[in-house]
Amino acid sequence: MKTILKNGLRAGITFGIVFIFLLLIGFINVGSTMIGDILGTNVQDQVPVNNLLITLAILGLFTGITAKSGCGECKWWMALLGGLTAGLVSGILAWLAIWITGTLSVGGAELQTYLPNLDPEDMAFLRFYSTPSAAANTYLIYLSLSSLAGAGLAWLLSFKNWFSRGWDTAKTKVSSWFEDKNVSDVIHNPWATAVILAIVGVALYFLPLTWGSYWNYIMGTVAIYILLGLGLNIIVGYSGQLVLGYVAFFATGAYTFALLTAPTPHGIGLNLWLAVGASVVVSTLTGLLLGLPILNLRGDYLAIVTLGFGEIIRILIKSDLLTDITNGPKGVTNVGQPNWFGEVFNDVNYMHLLMLLVLIGLFIAKRLKDSGTGRAWIAIREDQTVAQATGINTYGSKILALLLGAAFAGLAGALFASRNQFTGPEDFTLMVSINVLCIVIVGGMGSLPGVVIGAFVLKGLPELLRELEDYRLLVFGALLVVMMIVRPEGLWPAASTHFKQPSKKQPSEAAVEVKQ
Amino acid sequence: MTKAVIEARNVTKQFGGLKAVCDVDLVVPENSISSIIGPNGAGKTTLFNCVSGFYVPEEGEILFYDQPLNGLPTHKVSDLGIARTYQNIRLFGEMTAIENILVGEHTRLKMSWVEAILHNPRYIREEKEAVRLAFELLDYIGLSGLGNTPAHNLPYGAQRRLEIARALASQPALLLLDEPTAGMNPQETDEMIAFIKDLRESRDITILLIEHDMRVIMDISDQITVLDYGRKIGEGRPAEIQSNQKVIEAYLGPGADALSERFKRKKNASC
Repeated sequence: MKTILKNGLRAGITFGIVFIFLLLIGFINVGSTMIGDILGTNVQDQVPVNNLLITLAILGLFTGITAKSGCGECKWWMALLGGLTAGLVSGILAWLAIWITGTLSVGGAELQTYLPNLDPEDMAFLRFYSTPSAAANTYLIYLSLSSLAGAGLAWLLSFKNWFSRGWDTAKTKVSSWFEDKNVSDVIHNPWATAVILAIVGVALYFLPLTWGSYWNYIMGTVAIYILLGLGLNIIVGYSGQLVLGYVAFFATGAYTFALLTAPTPHGIGLNLWLAVGASVVVSTLTGLLLGLPILNLRGDYLAIVTLGFGEIIRILIKSDLLTDITNGPKGVTNVGQPNWFGEVFNDVNYMHLLMLLVLIGLFIAKRLKDSGTGRAWIAIREDQTVAQATGINTYGSKILALLLGAAFAGLAGALFASRNQFTGPEDFTLMVSINVLCIVIVGGMGSLPGVVIGAFVLKGLPELLRELEDYRLLVFGALLVVMMIVRPEGLWPAASTHFKQPSKKQPSEAAVEVKQ
Repeated sequence: MTKAVIEARNVTKQFGGLKAVCDVDLVVPENSISSIIGPNGAGKTTLFNCVSGFYVPEEGEILFYDQPLNGLPTHKVSDLGIARTYQNIRLFGEMTAIENILVGEHTRLKMSWVEAILHNPRYIREEKEAVRLAFELLDYIGLSGLGNTPAHNLPYGAQRRLEIARALASQPALLLLDEPTAGMNPQETDEMIAFIKDLRESRDITILLIEHDMRVIMDISDQITVLDYGRKIGEGRPAEIQSNQKVIEAYLGPGADALSERFKRKKNASC
């Protein structure tokens, strides 16, 4: 009884504070607008107040679910009590916030001076175009009821573990289906694999042709970030070296390509495919330059040094010192674009090329992971001292990981510059490094499917959720926090390679079965 | 006389002002089971770390089959044929049992990362052979069927044995075991004793071990070296050690006369 009240109180205070925060930065309005967009109820940018109620209901549901999750397997009335407590507490906080801001704005106070996202129009919307106290009461009632509903819903789903039991049954059914003799024969049949690959290949070929240039642009960005993620995954995911300046290699790749192909400032006009190769080589050399002196550092120290390195590269590109070479802050325009049978690459060609490279990248990363090299990396990640005593040249292995990672980034950089036909120093801020690192972590350290999913979630979704433009970082941060609490191992954690015991009679036929 | 696998001369290792190992000589004969014993903090593990290349001793030298180890990087020491286990188990926890053993084989594998990508015939052959060997070792230590279990999910005794298997995977000439029976019950300890004896016989390997359990020490050692406060205070066969006055003092505490004498000695001692 006491615990459930305490949990309710805690959930209520947390969500109440979250509500106030979201309110003050104007996110409640944005959320309502988005819901209107999704439901199609916005009329000429006019958002109906019902959408505000839906936003509140969603918030309240989460409050209730959180309150209920604190009490495990408890009675229905306990769950509801917890939900109601949480709802009331958050409702009271919301009541206060709305009443205070509402009264102030009705009284003519210039709220916008301090809270730039709350213009009078928004404030009126948040008040349901009525008096502050009436609006505040609505908030209180609404949050309480929806929290109650959330707790009830959570209780129903967890009642006798229906939900989790159903999920488990489904999982067992699916996995037993896979293990079924006939099915597994088909799956492991090389012909079947070939057919599946062919179908996927055809789909990948035709998708860019059909879905239009907007999607090609978004998916192209995702593909570039998959390449970056694959590279950083080798460094961070496999060998466990926290490198925060990964953008440096991306930048060197992009600039090498741009300077070698653009008419200004040098007008070298190198063959584009050679330029791509040059980008990879230069990025790799940059990796060597960075790696040789610093890879003896461990953990935090390495992170700080590489963080600095990333910034140094960007500032060098911008600096007066190198303006003659890099064109300074203006960046390089008219970056070369490849030809395809005499036609300049269009968005579809770029998409095809990127998909091909992503597949090759995945292939290389997978093979490396399953080899002695990959095992050495993971051993270093797990315990560097012991890895060394086991005979692994840790320094050499770490350099190799950094070089391969840098090569991926160089390739991605060249394609990035070529596709945008432009590259400037502001494309290579710290945020890029952090984005890529988040892709690796959110996807699951050392997991290849994780990199792909991570890139879609962190680069693809934000592109689609244009409404969230201003709040992208907020959502990003919240997502990371939630991820780390709910699923610290990542969306698709790395699976260990499954080894089959070789049959003793015919050691020559021993096979390693690899399961990702 | 049999050849010496390890010959340490006047080895001194100090941390700041503390001489953890002081002027110690040690000879480990080929195909023997030698033990180092001593009270806590006597410098046993430090000496081990010097032999396995973790530490570089300030003074003296350590020869492995007449080849000096001083200053060799740790992974080179492993290449030469010295493998070790740890007092507190240090497996690669996230990796499976088989992967742990495969990492142990690393020094014996010649494949490069380019070959790993290309999967050329030589690579495939070598990898297959490595996996076969790993499973053989897994069977040998009695963990058949647990190959794909992550190491940190294995029971304690299995982890100890897996650590030995990882060390054996590099086909070492000398195996260093740091307290192989720590935390084991009498039955597990007996199994471990039999296992270590069998190891020497079936694999033609020299073993140097640190141990606190006197029953183990007296049972399996050919030769025992006793350390106390970083100095060697005794050396010999188990029976000799059991009757060595200094050793008894170090373990049980000296009588009043000896205590005062030892105090005087310590005052004048150089380290």
